[in-house]
Amino acid sequence: MIKIVDGNQAAAYGAKLSRPEVIAAYPITPQTPLVEYIASMVARGELDAEMVEVESEHSALSVLHGASLSGARTFTATSSQGLSLMYEPYFRTSTLRLPVVMCIVTREMISPQSVWGGQQDAVTVRDAGWIQLFVENNQEVLDTVIQAYRLAEDRRVLLPVNVCLDGFYLSHMAEKVVIPDQNEVDDFLPPLVMDHIKLDPENPMSVDPLTPGPLLTHYRNKHVEGLENAKDVIEEVDREFEERFGRSYHGKIEPFMMDDAEIAVVTMGSMSGTVRVIVREARERGVRIGMLKLRMFRPFPKEEFRELLKDIDVIGVIDRNVSFGFSSGTVYYELKSALFGYHNPLMVSFIAGLGGSDISKMHVRKVVEILEKVHKTGKVEKEVVWMDLEEKLWEKQLKS
Amino acid sequence: MGETIEKLKWLLTDKYSNKRVEEEIRDKEDLLSSGISTCLGCGSEIGLRIALKVLGRNTILAIPPGCMGGVGVVGYGTTTGTEVPVFFPLLDNIASMLSGIKRYYRRLGRKVHVLAYAGDGGTADVGFQCLSGAAERDENIIYICYDNEGYMNTGIQRSGTTPYKAWTTTTPVGEARRGKPQVNKNMPLIMAMHEIPYTATASIAYIEDYVSKLKKAAEVEDGLAYIHLFSPCPTGWRFSTDKTIEVARLAVETNFFPLWEARYGEIRFTKKIWFKKPVKEYLKAVGKYSHLTDEEINEIQKLVDDRYRMLKSLAR
Repeated sequence: MIKIVDGNQAAAYGAKLSRPEVIAAYPITPQTPLVEYIASMVARGELDAEMVEVESEHSALSVLHGASLSGARTFTATSSQGLSLMYEPYFRTSTLRLPVVMCIVTREMISPQSVWGGQQDAVTVRDAGWIQLFVENNQEVLDTVIQAYRLAEDRRVLLPVNVCLDGFYLSHMAEKVVIPDQNEVDDFLPPLVMDHIKLDPENPMSVDPLTPGPLLTHYRNKHVEGLENAKDVIEEVDREFEERFGRSYHGKIEPFMMDDAEIAVVTMGSMSGTVRVIVREARERGVRIGMLKLRMFRPFPKEEFRELLKDIDVIGVIDRNVSFGFSSGTVYYELKSALFGYHNPLMVSFIAGLGGSDISKMHVRKVVEILEKVHKTGKVEKEVVWMDLEEKLWEKQLKS
Repeated sequence: MGETIEKLKWLLTDKYSNKRVEEEIRDKEDLLSSGISTCLGCGSEIGLRIALKVLGRNTILAIPPGCMGGVGVVGYGTTTGTEVPVFFPLLDNIASMLSGIKRYYRRLGRKVHVLAYAGDGGTADVGFQCLSGAAERDENIIYICYDNEGYMNTGIQRSGTTPYKAWTTTTPVGEARRGKPQVNKNMPLIMAMHEIPYTATASIAYIEDYVSKLKKAAEVEDGLAYIHLFSPCPTGWRFSTDKTIEVARLAVETNFFPLWEARYGEIRFTKKIWFKKPVKEYLKAVGKYSHLTDEEINEIQKLVDDRYRMLKSLAR
């Protein structure tokens, strides 16, 4: 079935097809329609799930803790301030090894007050032990939610997964999406069997007692092992998904026009679509440039980047977030640290698309222009480039 | 004459039901480890032991961070403190986590008691929002707040249920301040005002009353059951460890902590106090009030009287 749906609706379809048994959510812009879509699916009887309309995001994830510990497949979604309110149970979801799937409809963090797009929210919680997948379009939203359950529930992984879709750019933009058949999804995604950790009077278990340091260290190590395993499992899941549904997202990183490339642009999320257009345009001019779309931000695919970037001279990373303290984009410095000791390319960090600003063709052309210049001169004049800053757009906005 | 007969009836039924409950509880399986490390004279341990005896093995138990967590009810390392499934919710998501458990078991068609045994901090302060939400959503959980009137596990800090003028380490007594300057939250009445199916106060000095309330709570199927259990703490309240029950009894006998229950739109006193004692007798028995002047005691007497009168105006 083909439908025209926005990103929130695509996520709701993905969730519905995955047959979650308990859903808890609290509305927040831009995730709100997602909750409404799910609520109406439950109300119409299309989705047979316990729907808990909680009084906060903190409770949304907490309800899922209880449900998941009882053996339920669970789903929720949130954005920015909701995610930060959720941080306490968020961290614990991964350390309890609960295979929860949660969409983050990414949004700028305040202040200044903003309800618009940005990836600061999801990126800020990157070290809380979850798997984070960023997606480019609404078809990928739907497909990745389904893939996320397979990944989360895999016995080699058993970790929660975020499917991160750009607020407004995806959540409120409608496009053509293929909705798979329920039977096919059922074949792809068998019911969840929780037995590693479970609250059941028929088999009493003490969950999360006070734990001494060395045992805790052991659990932390196993947690990291689960994350590392996810790097292989996502490839398997994506391959199997392609065999069944005919669509693939290249697992962790999608290379685009990377053959014989000397310059690479690294992207994450919906900006990738625009970058594809400009990379093709530059190729027509004879520039040897390609794009790497980072899909799996957590765990960070260090090894694959090292392989994909081994012959690249110049790398530009576009970040829709800021690393306060490292004073660049976050993906930029993580990539740089992943390459250290392996390759030594020239690298530029581009900070763009904050607070709902567009990353337009014009912006990406500028990125390419700067990278071409770096390639020609062999010199990085400015390591961190803040888009829109030189044009002083903000001065115009202050005056108006 | 009529009143005398009424009194006699009360006394007789009390005595009869006490004996019956004593026998009933004595023979029930003790599901809590005898090796947990509570302070001497701990009131909360009694409350939990009795609750598990009444509810039995078909129970999932939440023990949030606090005294009962600290003493090892959830266990340590690879050991456990109870024979029922038990876990640590966060201090501020107790009722939400339990909602998730109960919802899923309901979906499976399995009847399971889902029980929180939480302190006053996790109930009246930081966990209040989610408890209020769960009450409003009619989540079918049993929630017992063991109220020792402060953060005792972290070392006696004031909470929303610490009473007026009481000493704690964060409401010390000195020249400028004399204990807690604010009156405590009327937590059980707040819960009753959520119009949940069952709300009750209980005291470890009146086990027969507590047991009957636990049974009523266990029968509720259409929403939240809340029991506010008065639980004196010798360590934090400064009294001798052999006086826990006595202190708890005095609180009831002085109307400092009246015993009542609310269900089906009615509030009813479950323990009639025929000879009310002055609150001074209770305050004098507890060290955290040892700094009080007669004037301050009179002020507290008035507060207790006012609160009791309000309750009485609502009660049958």
